[in-house]
Amino acid sequence: MRAWLYLLAAAVAGAIVTTPALLVLILLGGSFDDALVASLGTLMLVSGIAVVSMRDIIRCGLAMIVCFLALAGLYVTLGAPMVAAAQVIVYIGAISVLILFAIMLTQDKVGSSRLVFQTQAAPAAVAAIIVAVLVAVAAYGTNWGAASETARTATDALAKLIFGTETPQYILSFEAVSVLLLAAVIGGVFLAKREAGSGKGSL
Amino acid sequence: MGLADQLNTYLTMSGALFAIGAFGFLARRNAISMLMSIELMLNAVNLTIVAFGAFVPPLQGDGAVIALMVMAVAAAEATVGLAIVIAIFRNRKTPLVDEYDAMRR
Repeated sequence: MRAWLYLLAAAVAGAIVTTPALLVLILLGGSFDDALVASLGTLMLVSGIAVVSMRDIIRCGLAMIVCFLALAGLYVTLGAPMVAAAQVIVYIGAISVLILFAIMLTQDKVGSSRLVFQTQAAPAAVAAIIVAVLVAVAAYGTNWGAASETARTATDALAKLIFGTETPQYILSFEAVSVLLLAAVIGGVFLAKREAGSGKGSL
Repeated sequence: MGLADQLNTYLTMSGALFAIGAFGFLARRNAISMLMSIELMLNAVNLTIVAFGAFVPPLQGDGAVIALMVMAVAAAEATVGLAIVIAIFRNRKTPLVDEYDAMRR
């Protein structure tokens, strides 16, 4: 019985991914790139909604990994393969694992059976929909001076941009980010460690 | 058609993802769910930056660099945020933010 439920869920997930692609390809006459973007965008948004709405928080974390993976695919279609690789390594490899470990460290037995949303969930949903509509209206109402096709950023050009000596110099911010990461690591260890003997943390 | 050749497609998608993250941050009770929603919002902004870098010619290349910086800062934020949540959980024994009322009493 349970296996059939899982099969049904897998079929629904496959339909979510393939339906927009087929719609764009056949009904709207788009190219293969259009179908890919529609499919990845739908997967990203559906898994994002799953992250904020599912009851079991472990499943929320796994849906977040799916969302990050779809975003990496979108970066590839935007011609930024280095950003896509960093997305997979940093978000899926590091941050998701960190969040899953934190979930396992902080859940009590009764937590999953209680209420998921705060009392202000309905106004928050209205506000979020208004934000999305406003962003879409602003995006379509503004002339961004955009080219009609994407420009690829090759990885060696990216390295020259970061470490090179041309006018927008990023080397200082690159080093500042490394210092920030070191500070974050030290701060994280300090916040999460136990005091010796007392059994209490620092907060 | 040209769905993949328009900046507006990507901007609309990232706006929708940002709205989803904002809803999750405002509506969820679990502190780690709120942190996950913050990650969604940061990713939406990252998608916007990469899309601008890909489509607007004066920003070409810079978008990818700024997106990498944002990713590193997001990693730092996740580290400190999760450490704070774990430290609070150790004392309060609950991950639900509406039961963190030590500063209201």
